[in-house]
Amino acid sequence: MLEWLQQSSVAVQIRDSLYSFPLLESIHVVGLALVFGTIAILDLRLLGLASTNRAVSRILADLLTWTWVAFVVTAATGGLMFITNAVVYFNNTFFRAKMILLVLAGLNMLVFELTARKTMARWDTERSAPPIGKVVATLSLLIWVGVIVAGRVIGFTATRAAAPVDEAAPDVDFEDLLGLPK
Amino acid sequence: MQQFALWLAATPPSVFIQEHNAWTIPAFQSIHIVGIALVMGSVLMIDLRILGWAWTDQTLRQTTNRFGPWLSGSLWLLLVTGLLMVIGEPVRELVTFSFWLKMALVAIGTLVAVAFQRTLRRQEQHWEARLVHRRSIKAMAILTFLVWVCVIFLGRLIAYDHVWGSWSPAPRL
Repeated sequence: MLEWLQQSSVAVQIRDSLYSFPLLESIHVVGLALVFGTIAILDLRLLGLASTNRAVSRILADLLTWTWVAFVVTAATGGLMFITNAVVYFNNTFFRAKMILLVLAGLNMLVFELTARKTMARWDTERSAPPIGKVVATLSLLIWVGVIVAGRVIGFTATRAAAPVDEAAPDVDFEDLLGLPK
Repeated sequence: MQQFALWLAATPPSVFIQEHNAWTIPAFQSIHIVGIALVMGSVLMIDLRILGWAWTDQTLRQTTNRFGPWLSGSLWLLLVTGLLMVIGEPVRELVTFSFWLKMALVAIGTLVAVAFQRTLRRQEQHWEARLVHRRSIKAMAILTFLVWVCVIFLGRLIAYDHVWGSWSPAPRL
């Protein structure tokens, strides 16, 4: 399955292109910045730390579409990056950690939907959410920061594992490369 | 610049970061990404308010009061973590086309944000009643958002400066 993904024509095209992977990575970062940026606004509101003069439901209405659009963009670009080197990513500890954290983020959101969200009419305009809402908001911030950290570390660990020994960069003599006098 | 980068790479703080690069560089980069996420969230909200798509029950001033401090705070965080990355990997950062174009766009984005907050404070009535409804101002809101999107692109492209071809001063491996 992973091998097949890796050898699919899409994966090959991305691998062979000089521009595709950097472009995908850039879009991925824009997407995740908007995901985390918008989620943080809601979490801080739930905690009573920002935007306390606005009803939570209004903030939800302002943010949710943007968060989801950004999430879909981030997931799609992430998926495309994944298939270029599926076996290595799949076996990478930080990739796995990131996927587990994403599942936890989903479950955390589900807890919110099943608990605090149901009684939201009662605390909508309060300064902060009830305790369960605060727990969810704190966990959400921690989980998403974890997703970002794990994601960044994948870039340092997976590519290294992917590069066979003969591709490893030799010790670079910068003075020579830069054409500076010795 | 190359000589400066090489000099910087030999200074004790740079050497420290390089010697501990297993955790220093990923840590700085991760905090840097959290910072840019807070910038993007804040800029998006202010721009959506100008466009009339969000935060519409609040005045423009209330919206910038909410997000302005987060925007400037995040920009300081980005400056600190960015500087640490430059100190830690001066050649990788400074000897690229992406980095300098990024710095130019960061300067533009920051200047626009500062200028906007100043004029809003000085001519609050005029902004709330008229300016915010102008097409040109709405276009500016979209443009500034795109400037920050480009900043993210260029930040990532520092690692792939070869995409600029002969514009890149980075050594080819």
